[in-house]
Amino acid sequence: MQPEQAQVSDVELLAAIVRKDETALAELYDRYRVILFGLLVRILNSREEAEDVLQEVFLQVWRRAADFDEKRGRPFTWLVTLARSRGIDRLRSLAARERVALAGAKQPAEEVSDAAADAFASEQRTLVTTALEQLPEEQRRPLILAYFDGLTQSEIAAKLGAPLGTVKTRMRTGLMKLREALGNQSTSFGF
Amino acid sequence: MSHEDFKVMIPAHALSALDWTDDRALTDHLAECAECQQELIGWEQTAAAVALSASPAEPSPLVRQRILSQIRSDGESLGTPKIVPFKLAQKNIWSSLGSLGAIAAAVVFALLLGYLFLLWRENRAMRNEVQTLLLEKQRIQKDLEMVTMLKKPGTKLMELSGTAVAPGAFAKLAFDQSGHAMVMTNGLPAAPAGKEYQLWYIVAGKPPMRGKTFSTDRQGTGMIEDQLPAEALKASVVAVTLEPQGGSDTPTMPMYLSSRS
Repeated sequence: MQPEQAQVSDVELLAAIVRKDETALAELYDRYRVILFGLLVRILNSREEAEDVLQEVFLQVWRRAADFDEKRGRPFTWLVTLARSRGIDRLRSLAARERVALAGAKQPAEEVSDAAADAFASEQRTLVTTALEQLPEEQRRPLILAYFDGLTQSEIAAKLGAPLGTVKTRMRTGLMKLREALGNQSTSFGF
Repeated sequence: MSHEDFKVMIPAHALSALDWTDDRALTDHLAECAECQQELIGWEQTAAAVALSASPAEPSPLVRQRILSQIRSDGESLGTPKIVPFKLAQKNIWSSLGSLGAIAAAVVFALLLGYLFLLWRENRAMRNEVQTLLLEKQRIQKDLEMVTMLKKPGTKLMELSGTAVAPGAFAKLAFDQSGHAMVMTNGLPAAPAGKEYQLWYIVAGKPPMRGKTFSTDRQGTGMIEDQLPAEALKASVVAVTLEPQGGSDTPTMPMYLSSRS
């Protein structure tokens, strides 16, 4: 995988999608389905729900690709933001009973094949995972709860039994450390 | 809240973790603060990277099929086929005038062609008429010559009758003592291609003497001047046969006209 080239190609693909080029959408899907589906499975803990949302995400990309602004971020960031937002919305729309059931049945997502993992650029994943693991638990936990569970700072504080101010500080500190850990590599890796 | 207060909130906003009131206030500030907008872009990239920590997973191939099927369905329902719109030609006064000029030129050209055709047809008719008049004039001249000859003293007149092959034909032959003769035929059938009529003068006990060849018009009318051989002045029979172009030395039967009834 050549991230720098893919970055440029992603922008071109989105431009082609604006022109209603179906093959461009298919190519974009093939590039990011594993990452986005993994993210959605992590958020929803349901393959069925994740597949449904993944479909919604790419339909939104098809219909609103013109909203992408290269000055406001990279295609990867735009796609992940769309997917996470949709995933959190779906999670919140689920009934409390289902949500409790899902929370109690948290299981790791099904691993993909080696080939797919290679395509996904496991190097990037390793980098991010390592950076997160190096964070202190009190800083990492609020980040994970916010990112994958869609909880607000008040909800996280209530869940962790910690003061809101403390949660805000820990969350901000944790994210700053993550950015420092990723450093300039975030630019070269296209996220 | 101050700008710095909002700036501190941006990382949590990138994670969508701000409570509603804080999020509303920051959103309003972002709409007016370019620096914070730029700051947010950086934090959003960092937040997006967290997605990579999730275990990658392969969705069902059906998802891809459903997506592609749906966008095609959308395209059909929206009625947005990729059809190149037909561009109406730009109205331009000069091009319009040019077009009118071209049309006018074409009309004038057509009129000229028609006029030329009329002239050509009239000219052809006049030429035919002139030709007819010339032939008529020649015929009248021959008639006058015939009349003049008949008025001369000593001119003899011989009548030729059509035979079985030309029953409606007849001819008159006038000749003077010098042997100058004029023959006027009428009713002879048109000679086939490569053939023409020929006069013969027949004296008893001698081979037929050849006379001039001639052709007729559509009415079978012919006018021939000939010089009779001296022996022919006493010819008992004058006949006309149909011979090859240029005439023959001996007559080819049958006879078409004969002075012997």
